[in-house]
Amino acid sequence: MNTLGIILKQTLEARNIKCLLRKKNASEDYVCIEMDSFGETVQLIKSQQLLRLIAMWAAEDFEYYSGFTLFYVFENYNIPELLALEVRLKDKCAPSIALDFPIACYFEREIKDGFGIEFEGAFDTRRLFLHEAYPDSFHPLLKSFKNQALDLNHDEPKGSEYIFKEVAGEGIYQIPVGPVHAGIIEPGHFRFGVMGETIFNLEIRHFYKHRGLEKLAEYKKPADCIAIAESISGDESAANAAAFAMSIEKINNCTVPERAWQLRTVMLEMERIYSHLGDMAGMQVDVAYPVGASLLLTLREEIMRYNALMSGSRFLKGIIKPGGLLHDIDTEKLLDFKKYLSAFKDRFEAALKTACNSSWVIDRFDTTGVVKKELVSPLNLSGPIARSSGAAIDTRRNHPYGIYDKVKLNLPSRNEGDVLARFMVKADEIENSVDIINHVIDNLREGPVLSECSNLDGYSLTAVEAPRGQNLHWVYVKNGVIDRYKVRTASFCNWWAIEHAVLGNIVPDFPVINKSMNLSYAGNDL
Amino acid sequence: MITDILRNFFGKKIAQDSDPELYEFRKTGLELKRNINSIFGRSIAIRELDSGSDNAAEIELNNLGTTYYDVERFGISFVASPRHADIIVITGAVTHNMALAVKKTFEAMPQPGFVIAVGDDACDGGIYKDSYAVLGGADKILPVDIKIPGNPPTPLEIMKGLLALMNAIKQQRH
Repeated sequence: MNTLGIILKQTLEARNIKCLLRKKNASEDYVCIEMDSFGETVQLIKSQQLLRLIAMWAAEDFEYYSGFTLFYVFENYNIPELLALEVRLKDKCAPSIALDFPIACYFEREIKDGFGIEFEGAFDTRRLFLHEAYPDSFHPLLKSFKNQALDLNHDEPKGSEYIFKEVAGEGIYQIPVGPVHAGIIEPGHFRFGVMGETIFNLEIRHFYKHRGLEKLAEYKKPADCIAIAESISGDESAANAAAFAMSIEKINNCTVPERAWQLRTVMLEMERIYSHLGDMAGMQVDVAYPVGASLLLTLREEIMRYNALMSGSRFLKGIIKPGGLLHDIDTEKLLDFKKYLSAFKDRFEAALKTACNSSWVIDRFDTTGVVKKELVSPLNLSGPIARSSGAAIDTRRNHPYGIYDKVKLNLPSRNEGDVLARFMVKADEIENSVDIINHVIDNLREGPVLSECSNLDGYSLTAVEAPRGQNLHWVYVKNGVIDRYKVRTASFCNWWAIEHAVLGNIVPDFPVINKSMNLSYAGNDL
Repeated sequence: MITDILRNFFGKKIAQDSDPELYEFRKTGLELKRNINSIFGRSIAIRELDSGSDNAAEIELNNLGTTYYDVERFGISFVASPRHADIIVITGAVTHNMALAVKKTFEAMPQPGFVIAVGDDACDGGIYKDSYAVLGGADKILPVDIKIPGNPPTPLEIMKGLLALMNAIKQQRH
């Protein structure tokens, strides 16, 4: 079967558009085109219904081109390879594609903040991750800026004011919430436009936790950056560490030992289990049913203890590294965990029954916070949110990595798109993860868990299915150090869904809708 | 129901090894409770403030309230507003985007109040130390009384940190 790159090249050449196809490795194609033919190419891609834009980023001084290069990444669920469209800019200016691919709006604002590249025709040009404290002329990802502590005045900020969408009319008022919320939650700002109790509009402002992770990786050795990948989002440490490690492994043509991938898979699925358990408990807390939540939180604590037992960290930090794993995990521990899982399954099913038999829980979940299927593609939604809205997509199946092509993946899928659908999809995913772990432990290989990973130059893009959805990591290594590290987490796109899902719902249902989506603030803000 | 009761009376009892970690946790909790009784008059109210962490520390703080740990039995509660708080627990290196909100939250806490930095990044900036986007550790902007390092610290380590704060307060009074 043809890869996306070959298909696009053939389509472009049929129309006499010049392009250059580079196959980097088995999982990604790069098609480089001229700026003049960019508009036509985008329209061609748009007419191919099955392609969706999943990421966009810029790089400076990429592969001997001393200017800016823009990358547009497209995906087709039926083709394992990803396609990156590469455009070299003549000046700091490019046409906006946000009207054709709505999610591009967010990416373009991110690139504008980072590099100062202007997008012509963009309908939203407000700053994104740089808040008022940063001066307007500041662009941290430029090579001319050396990463260093800044002395900024927070009381009298230099940057221009952030303008919120104006919502007005008879009986309409606004409720601003955050950045500091009531509870042990991460910071973010929500501005509700409300009619009586019903939400009429929601605008989200994020990036309060922007820590500058992408710049932080610059000029560091790849092996030193695994800690940065792990700190993208604390409860997705294993998924992000694995994605980063895979990028480095692909650049170096390094083959990870079978046993290392088996153990990685066990940990990636453990992460999914404890993350989903937390969500399902949180959703019950938000409809005032702590009894049901406690059953799940108890299980979650036990899984986190097994995390610590196996990896040394309750959050699975510090074990995955390029080439495999830092240390082996005793087979005895894994067999013990397998024994625990059989008891876990019964207790989980009992807890699920408790929730499903409680009419007040189901009553609050049912028909609340609907995400329509039509939103999945234009907003690039992924993970349990997409699977609850009728899109049976999963990176583990669409773009298999590691040993995921050898395990039995049961993709739960529901069409309702409400809180209840997300609750049930997560429950099904936990059961599937348990099966995957059991299968892997049954077929465990003996052998080393680390192979030599050299430090070559190159670049590579990796997609993984984290608990929240698809995470992308692109690493560009030049002269032995990382020149550009781009991360796009599932939350970065999935956050948009909530602005649509809450419309017509009442304000008191916002917490449970939010929790059912389990969006990461840290993973979004980077 | 009745069968459950009868089984409890006459059924076979399985004694499990007591979990050494939970034993240690309970011991620390009870000692903390004694200190809270004498210094704060039975209970402390904690406001959690995230200034730019990776969310792992928040998860552990949330875990303190779950079945295994249940710190409310030791007189510790997490409150929704800094205006109700005796202690601010701050997690994460302070980002420039959060700096103003951090200052305002601290100013809203009645005095005397205390500040605890939880996690490596809150203690000294951690891996973000040289980033343009952060000021550094929490002590760059707030008067930090106790630092609890870790990536993130475990529930037991957080409890030991709280105990250290109690001891520091007692010493100040002498």
